[in-house]
Amino acid sequence: MSIQLLIFQILNGIGIGMIYFLLSAGLTLIFGLMRFVNFTHGALYLLAAYVAFALTRSGISFWIALLLAPLTTTFVAIVIERLILRHTYRMAHEAQILITFATALFIQEMVILAFGPLGQNVSVPPQLSGVVFLGPYVYPVYRLAVVGVAAVVALLVWLLIERTKTGSILRAGSEKAEMVGLLGINVDLVFMATFALGGALAGLAGVLAAPLRGVDPFMSAEALGIAFVVVVVGGLGTLSGALVGGLLIGLVQSVMSSVWPEGAQFMIYASMALVLLLRPAGLLGRN
Amino acid sequence: MIDRRKFVGGVAAAPMFLAAPAFVRRANAQSTLPIPGLYSLSGNFANVGSAMNDGSAWAVEQYGTVAGNKLNYMLLDDRGDVGEAVRKVNDLMAVQRIKHLVGASNSAVGLAAQREAFLRGGIYVHQAGADEATGKDCNRSTFRWTAACYSAVNSTVRPLIDKYPNAKKWYTITGQYVFGDSLLSNCKEVFAEKGIQHLGNSYHSLSDREYSGFIASALATSPDVLAICNFGNQTLDVIRQAISFGMKRNTKILAVWSTGLDQFQALGPENCEDVYFGCNYWHSVDSPGNRRFAEIVKKKTGEVPNYLQAAGYAVAQMLMEGMNKANSTEADAIIKSLEGLTYEGPTGTETIRAGDHQVIKDYYLMLGKPKAAMKDKNDFCDVVAATKAFLPVEKTGCKMGV
Amino acid sequence: MEARMFPNATTFVVLVLLLGLPFVVPTTLAIQIAAFALGTLSVSVLLGGVGLLSFGQGLYLGVGAYGAGILLRDFQLGLLPSLAAAAVLGGFVACAVGSLIVRRQGVYFVMLTLAFAQMGYFAMLAFKRFTGGENGLTGVPRLLSLFGYAIDDARTMYCLAAGIFFCVFLLTQRLLASPFGSVLASIKQNEARSEALGYAVGLYKTAAFAFAGAIAGLAGGLHVLSLGFVSPNNIELEMSQRLLVMGIIGGVSSPAGALAGAIFYEAVAETLSLIWPRWLALIALLLVAIVLFVPGGLWSLGARLTDLARRRKHG
Repeated sequence: MSIQLLIFQILNGIGIGMIYFLLSAGLTLIFGLMRFVNFTHGALYLLAAYVAFALTRSGISFWIALLLAPLTTTFVAIVIERLILRHTYRMAHEAQILITFATALFIQEMVILAFGPLGQNVSVPPQLSGVVFLGPYVYPVYRLAVVGVAAVVALLVWLLIERTKTGSILRAGSEKAEMVGLLGINVDLVFMATFALGGALAGLAGVLAAPLRGVDPFMSAEALGIAFVVVVVGGLGTLSGALVGGLLIGLVQSVMSSVWPEGAQFMIYASMALVLLLRPAGLLGRN
Repeated sequence: MIDRRKFVGGVAAAPMFLAAPAFVRRANAQSTLPIPGLYSLSGNFANVGSAMNDGSAWAVEQYGTVAGNKLNYMLLDDRGDVGEAVRKVNDLMAVQRIKHLVGASNSAVGLAAQREAFLRGGIYVHQAGADEATGKDCNRSTFRWTAACYSAVNSTVRPLIDKYPNAKKWYTITGQYVFGDSLLSNCKEVFAEKGIQHLGNSYHSLSDREYSGFIASALATSPDVLAICNFGNQTLDVIRQAISFGMKRNTKILAVWSTGLDQFQALGPENCEDVYFGCNYWHSVDSPGNRRFAEIVKKKTGEVPNYLQAAGYAVAQMLMEGMNKANSTEADAIIKSLEGLTYEGPTGTETIRAGDHQVIKDYYLMLGKPKAAMKDKNDFCDVVAATKAFLPVEKTGCKMGV
Repeated sequence: MEARMFPNATTFVVLVLLLGLPFVVPTTLAIQIAAFALGTLSVSVLLGGVGLLSFGQGLYLGVGAYGAGILLRDFQLGLLPSLAAAAVLGGFVACAVGSLIVRRQGVYFVMLTLAFAQMGYFAMLAFKRFTGGENGLTGVPRLLSLFGYAIDDARTMYCLAAGIFFCVFLLTQRLLASPFGSVLASIKQNEARSEALGYAVGLYKTAAFAFAGAIAGLAGGLHVLSLGFVSPNNIELEMSQRLLVMGIIGGVSSPAGALAGAIFYEAVAETLSLIWPRWLALIALLLVAIVLFVPGGLWSLGARLTDLARRRKHG
């Protein structure tokens, strides 16, 4: 493999990593603030992608879908939280895992019911089509845009969590929910808001991913798989962990595709297991 | 204790109504002839399974009666589980004693089910694409409609080489599973024979979705042609991502194995333009068999047919044609009458080769056209070549009668 | 888990269910139910007995299945040795994995079981020369005999499958009613306290994990025997999820729930899939309902109903 190719694989890996970060941000946030693993993350990603498909299929512009899809998933997330999840906070974490797993399955089947099981296409918006030349390399404009969005989202969410009053309430709620309640803040609302934010981020990732790889009902499993690995490697619960984890996994995937492509999937899960065994909090997580 | 028994009774009652279909099926077998179709309607291959199931059901409905028996289509849903498929074939042939079966949603089901069907002395017609089905795993009970890996590669790579004699440098992206490897090894043989420079191959695994790394490797070699050796959604993703990286400007892209219309719809006209596809069926190929079939589909859905429906239709058609010719529903008689049979199928005149039970039919090389040139919303591609490329029976590895 | 008496009424009910099953469902389905009930038992033992949620029991089922398949086909091993080998393989791999992962708690443990399940699946695909890859392993011999009796048709195969399930069920009941089972129960209730009391919690958990793995491996081997084929689905993540779903539906508080769950799930799948291809949506709803309202699953529901009936009867 030439140096030029290697450099491209590294740059490409960073690009993939940012996309993976966007995919995983919602999951890590919910774990960090509510301490449970949200199996519906992939299903909301799927839902947003299909909303984008339904809208663009009827001629509505992608930009409007970009707005409406995350709003839809936020709404659905709130409904799920209010109707079902709320009852599980007292329960063991197994119950929460099982319920979100079942909810994800239900959403997936409903999507197949509404749209059929075949894969579909969402076109890249014309303003973002084509390639850009970075020195000797070619890179799709759309991917660059998604990387840009991921960076902006990272910044905004970080600002929200670390620099605003709402964010400090969310953080406090994750550490000592009782205390926050005693301070007069509605903890229920805090949880709902967190879940909604996670849902919005999953939705954003979904609608942005649609032009990259099309939409099909099983993209939820794929997204969840990636998000799990990224979040575990980077650190369950920290946003910076999701960023570092995403970049690392993206790099591994990209470089491996030239070095040992067959082993890529195995290595990804092996690294997940390794991190869980040696440093379960992840590379940047705090226990 | 009595109360526990009541509970047991309750639990036992629930499955009672589940056994009903089995009893009902057995009862029906006397008055009508069931034609079972083995497809995945849920699980991973639901996309493929439901359309194929439709095709088979419509064929049975169209034929209506065969060898003096009224027909009744019977779905066996394997739910995307190959083990379940084998169990259902076992149950069908060994327990219910219905010895004929059609359909397979993927090669795993096809290969496993055909072994079971042979063991039970039945007859099985399927549309899975693995070379082995009528190659080294062939058996007397099995008939296969689809043109498989060897045909796919030879019907697409050869015409493309002939069309672009100066395009000597090829790169392949291959799914690292049995099917992908089969396509790749067939490609390599053609490359060796035709003096093509095989610049390199990138393997990817069964669940990969991100191909930018492989595309970068391909781009680095500046190939004339990129040949994609995999199937299903992975083909679509490789094409989409290759185009997004601007590969179309300097490289021809060939998807050796495509299911045609449903995939073109999934890609959209901009992505299909100037891409070469290999297909087992195309709706605008004019032939009496295709016209008849297209009429049925139009009545049922208002749309033109796609490969999945055609494949489902074709396997059921083959079985019923065999039954008609033999004027019998005995597996042995059907097998004998199917060998060498010629009939009007969805791709034109199709012949069932006696030596390996493979249907000799066309495999198409298609070229995507610009959106402006599309005559209607389904006119994605033009047929560039239609070839019947099959190894002679001795070379397929098929030793029937063993 | 339930009353520490062995055998008890539950044993009797399970026996009745097993005896009656082939008369109510097609025999081949009954065999499959028995095999999957065994797999589900491995989930129940872990979740109900020790409080460990495993999303990866399919790995050990798959290991047992491929092991048995290869031994039967390529090494011409007999019926019992292959089944024994399947159990040993499943147990061995589970012991190895378990010793690594039981030190992790809660969510981390669950995700580790998931990660290992996925690794197993990709390893199977990578070694396709031995496993047949995505096509599975075909050509596993059918005509087998057990002490001179031929096991070649559905009826006899069911007797074997049900017999094996019942034996393992009895063993599980015995184990859970034993001092070993009590320690597991105390670990489930309060791990820290059990540790403080001097029990080597890690060792107990690993032992339970290995036992569950052996059960799952045996289930895989049994499944292969009944089909003459190793399905790639046996080692896919979906199998792990399926076993878990069956376990939850049936109820993990009693090993009998494994059988109840397997019967229910297979029955529903078989009938509903013909009526509505989206039957999984109903299973999903049922799961939510069970977790929220009937956490003990169907088995506990049955127990509650009989309790109610008994109370009404005695005034």
